[in-house]
Amino acid sequence: MSVSSHLSVWGNDMRDYDAIVIGGGHAGIEASLALSREGFETLLITQSLDAIGRMSCNPSIGGLAKGNLVREIDAMGGEMGHLIDKTMIQMRILNRRRGPAVQAPRAQADKFSYSRLAKETLEKEHHLHLFMDTVVDMIVDGGRAAGVITERGWHISAKTVVLTTGTFMDGKIFIGEYDASCGRLGESAAIGLGDSLRRLGFHTGRMKTGTPSRVRFSSLDLDEMEVQYGDAIMEPFSFESETIERPSLPCYITYTNETTHRIIRDNISLSPLYGGKIVGKGPRYCPSIEDKVVRFPDRERHQIFVEPEGVGTEEMYLNGLSSSLPESVQHDFIHSIPGLRHAEIMRPAYAVEYDYLDPMDLYPSLESKILPSLFIAGQTNGTSGYEEAAAQGLIAGMNAAQLLKGEKPVILSRTDAYIGVLIDDLVTKGTKEPYRMFTSRAEYRLSLRHDNADQRLTEISYNAGLATKERMTRLAKKSEDILSVKEILRKTRMDGRSCYDLVRMPETEITELSIPELSSFPSYVLHEAELDIKYEGYLQRQEKETEKAKRMENMEIPADFDYDSVDGISSESREKLKLVKPLSIGQASRISGVRVTDIAVLSVAVRSRKRG
Amino acid sequence: MPCYTTDEPIYALATPFSPSAIALIRGSGDDILSIIAPYFTSDFRKYPSSHAIHGFLKGTDGKNIDEVMIIKYEKGHGYTSEEAFEIMCHGSLPVIRSIEELLEAIGIRRAEKGEFTYRAFMHGRMDLTEAEAVEEIVRSKSEKAGSEALSRLTGAIKREAEDAKERILNILASLEVQLDYGEDEIPEDWEFPHDEICSIISRLEAIAATYSASRLYSEGAKVVIAGRTNAGKSSLYNAILKENRAIVSSEEGTTRDYLETDASIDGIPVRLFDTAGIRETDGEVEKEGIKRSEALMSDADLVVYVIDPRDDDTPPSGDNTLTVYSKRDITLRPDAISFSSVTGEGLDEVIRKIAECLMKGNTFTSSVPSIDSERQRDKLLETAAALRDAEKAVSSGYDIIALYLQSALSLLGELTGAVTGEDVLERLFSSFCLGK
Repeated sequence: MSVSSHLSVWGNDMRDYDAIVIGGGHAGIEASLALSREGFETLLITQSLDAIGRMSCNPSIGGLAKGNLVREIDAMGGEMGHLIDKTMIQMRILNRRRGPAVQAPRAQADKFSYSRLAKETLEKEHHLHLFMDTVVDMIVDGGRAAGVITERGWHISAKTVVLTTGTFMDGKIFIGEYDASCGRLGESAAIGLGDSLRRLGFHTGRMKTGTPSRVRFSSLDLDEMEVQYGDAIMEPFSFESETIERPSLPCYITYTNETTHRIIRDNISLSPLYGGKIVGKGPRYCPSIEDKVVRFPDRERHQIFVEPEGVGTEEMYLNGLSSSLPESVQHDFIHSIPGLRHAEIMRPAYAVEYDYLDPMDLYPSLESKILPSLFIAGQTNGTSGYEEAAAQGLIAGMNAAQLLKGEKPVILSRTDAYIGVLIDDLVTKGTKEPYRMFTSRAEYRLSLRHDNADQRLTEISYNAGLATKERMTRLAKKSEDILSVKEILRKTRMDGRSCYDLVRMPETEITELSIPELSSFPSYVLHEAELDIKYEGYLQRQEKETEKAKRMENMEIPADFDYDSVDGISSESREKLKLVKPLSIGQASRISGVRVTDIAVLSVAVRSRKRG
Repeated sequence: MPCYTTDEPIYALATPFSPSAIALIRGSGDDILSIIAPYFTSDFRKYPSSHAIHGFLKGTDGKNIDEVMIIKYEKGHGYTSEEAFEIMCHGSLPVIRSIEELLEAIGIRRAEKGEFTYRAFMHGRMDLTEAEAVEEIVRSKSEKAGSEALSRLTGAIKREAEDAKERILNILASLEVQLDYGEDEIPEDWEFPHDEICSIISRLEAIAATYSASRLYSEGAKVVIAGRTNAGKSSLYNAILKENRAIVSSEEGTTRDYLETDASIDGIPVRLFDTAGIRETDGEVEKEGIKRSEALMSDADLVVYVIDPRDDDTPPSGDNTLTVYSKRDITLRPDAISFSSVTGEGLDEVIRKIAECLMKGNTFTSSVPSIDSERQRDKLLETAAALRDAEKAVSSGYDIIALYLQSALSLLGELTGAVTGEDVLERLFSSFCLGK
């Protein structure tokens, strides 16, 4: 099926496709795969078929909280885990020393292989079609999204549309005085779609992010830098991968110094950020080097990670040096840093400013409140990061599929997953800066470990029709193994105590006990059983809170609920409730500034409405 | 964050918090009868629903609190439709307080205003109109407005609580940054700030300790008049009562061994006890009376020990003892406080001295601000306990320590306003230079 063969039926009830996904980034990949894997004819439209799954910024996947997101995406049948497992060139488990519940995997990727594999994966899908063009407008039919209009004049219809345009909507990049209408350096912005959406009533804003320069490997003074190796064993992100045998490349660490800082301070007025050219709000957690120098003048040095971008390339990523200063200044301050004194700069650092759509205009299903049948995911919603984008893409794709099937949307709660926290935060509170996932955003992080993501989520996805039977079988085996391990620990006694009780102690590790019966179990089973036991007491403490939260989540508010009809709600709360349109009393209670008593009044009113 | 819930065990005093013959305390929630059963001498299971059961309520220490009637309600029978009870107890403030303390200790929390009606409605008690439920909640909002957690704290105490919150938040942020950024980005190891935590704990506990001082005004002090038989105790008791024109009642002590009454001394509400005389005796009945006197004395905020100047009696030791000499008209002790119930001489001074003693040992004048509710005190102590737990968890990993610090913050947050995850991140970003 191609675009042209179906255009002839436009105008009657036939649709060209079941679904259209706009954008081929990390969100678009997951959304289009979720839809097509559930059997829906899906068209992915991208501005560049060569840029599918491109890593615009750092060449790595995962990290704290983000690594948990990747494993959750995988547990639900998403693709990101597979992609990174097959393309990683270094892997580490972070925070091994800092507590098991907050450990997470991070891997450096060969970004070119990653992107190529992403495209191949999409191409292999029978029901998925790829098409290169730029979407400039939506087709609206009966108040619902019904297709798209492209720059080259195509009118393509579908029953549902997923929008994942990243930083490309009216994107603009800045390097000192230079600016250009781009979503990434050298890639044109998508012009027009932002205006079209504003005409349809969407609320847009500007955000800003940035990326550092890339330098040539053979021009580095490696002996002036520390070497950072990955873990000896590459642990997979995907629950479906067994072991990973891939070459591992090191990263390098160096530091800025007083000279670097002086160069930056002397030229700060040339930064478009400080000169007022950029209006968009940037992320506080990922400041540019000029931000760091200005905000923390007492710091004598800042750490810089020099990371490989792939196996077949000399480009190295200067993590920690993102900037929008003019290129000549960039050259000067880079050359003031040990290891980089002779660096050949291949791509400059730049800032990018783009349109985002207010995520409070979305339901927790990621369907638009303004234009039903349209789902929106990824950086367009004001987030940052490949993992955050992919997580939303997956949920948007799944829920577009649920809509096509006429079934209830899949909504993960804050107690289920980091994905639940991410989406609930976005649609309930909105965001003022590019939103990144942190473990501190999750109230129940002790139970949201990366190793148990499959136990938390695979069945939910399987029931919705995405996760495969094989995943369920694998999960059942793992759960059974964990139970067996716990049983063996209960039965085995050492020094007059059961091994189960010994493992409960923080200082005891399960493998130290050298129990012969356990040797046949895979290490991830032992590890997970161990963590379950160690955290048992704390999780029980949390359970009461979780129960309370769940009960409030289960008190649904009808979609057509009329807040004006309820006496006794303060007008301030009423306005906020009307804006967010919460789906449950739980969600309502998290809207900032809505009072406890207003929530109580609301639940009384919802209850009485239900009784009719 | 407080919120209206259903099924979670709650209680509320249904009668006003003031001395009266009988008070009523209601409780409602899942398994609430089995929660309180271990502290009630009668067995609920033997009685049908809606039945009043006589027995004694015991504290967590096993001592009797009061003789009460409890009406039990099985699920579906009571006002809220949940499993519930109604405790009818004696209406003295210490009794009510002890029962509330017991309920809190066994995990039954104080209800939000209007929460009983809210639950009744949510459980489908159709005899309640929606309007009624809403009205009660809305009214509670305006009532509470003046007494909302944040504004209930005033001046110095608010600053103290906020200062403690700030300090805990700083510690938490310094820990969270280690959980949100990898060891390669934040290579420095986190050290448990023992000194800082200790200092916060002692500060919190110092503020909590001021509660007994301010309690004098809200709930009254227990003043016990003691001394040998015929030392002049009853004369003093009656003299103080004469000063008090606004006495509510003067009832006999339930044991008939002492008299008790509510009075006011220099504006401080006082529960005044006149005890049986202390002396060596063989009489069984009298022995029992003396035992009770001693129990009363040990529990008192102040013991006024009366000595006949002609006796060679010495007052018992103890910080809370005020020694006064009687029969001033017969023998004057110039070096001591004395009075005469016949001429009325010295009585004013004795009364002023009692007030002074009650205020002394209370920390109104110290550098620590005082608090005025049990709830505030409890939250402060719970916060301190959570910080101690954090200290104990040092070997368990940063994620567990963070759990306790968060719980300390959320407890303190009930006094100062909640701390959100966003607040923690805010602190984290502003204090640490982050971002690879």
